[in-house]
Amino acid sequence: MKNDMKKTCIFQDTEKTENTADLLEVAQRIYGQGQFESYAVLLADSCDGLQGAFDHIIQVAQGLVNAYDPRGICDILENLHKKHTFDSILIPGTSMGQMIAPRLSKRLRTGLAAGVIDINRQKDHVDIIRPACSGKIRESVLLTGNGPVMMSIRPNAFAYTPGTPLQTVVTSYTEPVRSPGAVKRLHVKENQQTCDIRDSEVLIAGGGGVKESFAELYRLADALKGTVAASRKLVDQGIAPRSIQVGQSGKTVSPKLYMALGIHGSMQHLAGLRQIASLISVNTSINAPVCSLSDIVVQGDARKFIDRLLKKIAVYRS
Amino acid sequence: MDKNQIIENLGNILTPSRVNTDSEDLYDASADRYKKYAKVRRVLDVPVPAAIVYPGSAQEVSQVLAFCNEHGLNVIPRAGKTATEGGLENWKDNTIVLDARHLDKILNIDFYNMQATVQAGVPLQELEDALRKQGFTTGHSPQSKPVAKFGGLVATRSIGQFSTLYGGIEDMVVGLECVFPDGHISRIKNVARRAGGPDIRHIVIGNEGSLCYITEVTVKIFRYYPENNRFTGYLVKDMETGIKVLREVMVNGFSPSVARVYSEEDAAQHFFHFHKNRCVLLFMAEGPEGIVQATCQAIEAAAKKFKAGIIEQVDDTLIADWFNNLNWSQKDIDDEFEAMKENDSHSGFTTEISGDWETIPKIYHNVIQRIRKEYPRAHDLTMLGGHSSHSYINGTNMYFVYNYRILCAPEDEMRVYHHPLQRIIVEETLKLGGSMCHHHGIGKFRNEWTMDEHGSAYYMLEKLKQAFDPKGIMNFGTIYPQKEGEIQNKPGPVITGRQRAMAHAVPSRLLLSCLKRLGVRDNEKGCERTRGYPIGMKIICVVKFVPDVDSMVCDVENNTLSGKNARIMHESG
Amino acid sequence: MNPDDVCALAFALGVKAADPDCVVEVVSLGPLSVRPHMEDLLRLAVDRGTLISDPVFEGSDTLVTSEILGRYIATRPFDCLLTGSRSLDGGTGHVPVQLAETLGLDQMSGIIRIDPHQFDSTRAVFDVADEKSVTTYEMAMPCVLSVTRESGYKLPYVTLTNMRRDVSDELVIITNQDLGFSETRVGPAGSLTQVVHRCPKTYEKKDRHIVGIDEKGISFVFHFLQQKGFL
Repeated sequence: MKNDMKKTCIFQDTEKTENTADLLEVAQRIYGQGQFESYAVLLADSCDGLQGAFDHIIQVAQGLVNAYDPRGICDILENLHKKHTFDSILIPGTSMGQMIAPRLSKRLRTGLAAGVIDINRQKDHVDIIRPACSGKIRESVLLTGNGPVMMSIRPNAFAYTPGTPLQTVVTSYTEPVRSPGAVKRLHVKENQQTCDIRDSEVLIAGGGGVKESFAELYRLADALKGTVAASRKLVDQGIAPRSIQVGQSGKTVSPKLYMALGIHGSMQHLAGLRQIASLISVNTSINAPVCSLSDIVVQGDARKFIDRLLKKIAVYRS
Repeated sequence: MDKNQIIENLGNILTPSRVNTDSEDLYDASADRYKKYAKVRRVLDVPVPAAIVYPGSAQEVSQVLAFCNEHGLNVIPRAGKTATEGGLENWKDNTIVLDARHLDKILNIDFYNMQATVQAGVPLQELEDALRKQGFTTGHSPQSKPVAKFGGLVATRSIGQFSTLYGGIEDMVVGLECVFPDGHISRIKNVARRAGGPDIRHIVIGNEGSLCYITEVTVKIFRYYPENNRFTGYLVKDMETGIKVLREVMVNGFSPSVARVYSEEDAAQHFFHFHKNRCVLLFMAEGPEGIVQATCQAIEAAAKKFKAGIIEQVDDTLIADWFNNLNWSQKDIDDEFEAMKENDSHSGFTTEISGDWETIPKIYHNVIQRIRKEYPRAHDLTMLGGHSSHSYINGTNMYFVYNYRILCAPEDEMRVYHHPLQRIIVEETLKLGGSMCHHHGIGKFRNEWTMDEHGSAYYMLEKLKQAFDPKGIMNFGTIYPQKEGEIQNKPGPVITGRQRAMAHAVPSRLLLSCLKRLGVRDNEKGCERTRGYPIGMKIICVVKFVPDVDSMVCDVENNTLSGKNARIMHESG
Repeated sequence: MNPDDVCALAFALGVKAADPDCVVEVVSLGPLSVRPHMEDLLRLAVDRGTLISDPVFEGSDTLVTSEILGRYIATRPFDCLLTGSRSLDGGTGHVPVQLAETLGLDQMSGIIRIDPHQFDSTRAVFDVADEKSVTTYEMAMPCVLSVTRESGYKLPYVTLTNMRRDVSDELVIITNQDLGFSETRVGPAGSLTQVVHRCPKTYEKKDRHIVGIDEKGISFVFHFLQQKGFL
């Protein structure tokens, strides 16, 4: 291994272990393929799926630290950094990651780019891009300071394509944690399976334009593992229950995908939409206000659209 | 007479089924959209009426009014319930609400003579739908069209979104029937025009239920050419530019049906999909093809003349689409109620004023500056702006729009936010000679400025009240500032005229010390007029003064009150 | 005040309402223009309001912000620091975490409920929600608890009399004279995370594709869904 190889440390979050390798894509975008040495730091006792993807896997010995103790975890990462002097430390932007990353950045007194969604390598520097102002603005962030480049990475913003398998060295971290947090987990209650539209990442919403074919929306929602929502018009007419109404007098939703079928998009309706990553509208009029907020506007009848899209999905899945 | 006797008597005059005493309906009838927020939060501070009565004919109205007149019962006339200025709010214990629900027939549509006759309780939408089927229109389209009824529209001098072409309701009414407190029924006949003395229709139009009860209306109808409708919109650099273009179109003799300019802030809440943080200027031309063409050319020419202030033209389909989704239905109103229950907010308030072309930009500027500078809760404002939406050859209106975070208790909302804001708007407007009410009516909360509004002509307005409603039973508190002895008997909330808004902003002890220092004494006799005003459950003070109110100025900051003939007649709490 | 902060304060005032001995201080770092908002808080039952304000602090990143706050707070007695979890616009939520680190305390974000019966000077018991579950934790005091708007804690209303109360004397203004940071250590100069460029996200309007319900249109939607990981 070359001496000028950059070292990147990637922390594996216990919530979404399967996404850990995606952070390699971030390192690749910063340093270029094969130009860095990767370290994965794991609390889990299994390194399935990471063997061959990372140069090093550091497994934290069981019982050393609680997965919900950011202070203790910071101790370990700080120690590892002292030992290896990483050039970058990447932490998933999950709820626990967002408590670890800032704490570690303060401890190492280094800059931190939060919720990074994109990296563009330029000639002389790297553009680190994060969303600001409810996602309306893209910010390029410059990190100064002597410490490693630190980032928390928005989940699902990057996808890693495996290359040639690496020779992975697995080591164990056993040094006791000096200052663990004084926090105890008392109990965990799993959420019941409710279909609160606020919890759904995919919403298939219908408005006045689909009052004849509202039931069709459930087929599409099933296919996309989403939930059906409705505009006030349908609720008024008794076609949809009030509990699934989006808008000023209904609920405010922030799904990743919002599909607006036959929805005009009055101010009152749009007031219920916050931070929607992708919006597809299907409408006979492309001038409906909702269309101006859409990534894709499908002009035409919603029922036909559902039929044809479902067919396409069925073909793809078979 | 107590409430039970009132209800029993009314049941005898009509039938008991026409007398509604359902407690929820009565609560609803005790205030209108002016106190929408307090109403939803169940903290209304006004008495509930004794009953809501539904007469079925002018004769029945006559009987009910005569009964009320005899026993001194307050009457609030009501139709579509979309009042926004307190016109339907109740300030007296013994009150009946006279609702036009059963006066619901379209009596005649005369396509040859181009007029339609309806009873007062016919919804505008119903007549409009009937006309549209035959290719005609009323030309009247206020935002409340889906809900508002003819009695209320005429009583409040309402105006519609197409007024710049068709005029306000006063230009549409041909004749009408109304009933006076003594039971007299007057019918004003339907003619094209006449010179038979003063136009007495205007005693009725806009009386806000303070003189008589309207039972029947005949309005003009117009041919409808929807296929010719054309929309034009621009982003402009400021309100002044927008108003200049509006004026240019109007003074050159054209009448677009819609001619509006929105401030940046107001545009942002209406045209979120194209406003780009700019003022929006928009027009709609309608009517016969040739007229539409000529009007559109005139609009283009006007825009060209002021092109330095025009940023870009807007895709006209966006304007069309916005316009077709503008009206408030009953469901929108219900919706806002639901939202107010959950959140410490509502969809905002408005105050609409008018003036000539020269004055309107000045008023707009002065109001915005003054609110920003001296309104103590300016930091709670989430929106402050306005639009001009009705133009005339000699001037236009300004619709101030504002919203705010409500950080006080629901019952204090109006005192902390809307009242002081409205006060600034009204004062600045009157100062420059504009009118404080362009189209919502005076209601009960601008009545303290009615005399300022009319000046020496208030004499005429006052005589009307004395002549037609000598016992003062019609809609107590609406339009007319109250005379001595007419202040609500209930212990409580009274403070006077001009000091009202000030009292909202300063501690009552400060107000009292101001008055005392100036040697204003208790219970002085010989005063002509007291203006009453309820502001909550605490009496602060009641000041009496003679009509020369203009000379009364309260300077809060310097803790002084200058003026002549001011008298404290009562103080407590 | 952003909604998360409002909930944190509302919880604190709830504790104070039940226990009059409890003292609530609000600390904010910002320009002097937030004064009227701070004064409104004093018109509630807040005992002390502190506005840390100095032009040299403007433009500080979260780390420096937490150091400024930390230096002041370290001089104050407290059992518990309550903060909002995030700012209104979905900001980073770093300040409470870094503040805790500055003060050497434990911290937890995303709190939807704090058990008022298990909240004293020794420990707090509270619930944190994520997508899948609600977890109950116990944390030793002093610590930093960061509450989200989902907690639904509501501030009491300011009464009309209080709204007119002049509280300008009660607001404490702290400047860098009091805190004594070197000017190179705060503001943009001292910040280790700097925004070099901002541009509006462009998908609104610009990227909008208009398609029909034909093979091409359906394929476009399909690939979009696939690319975004919905299929």
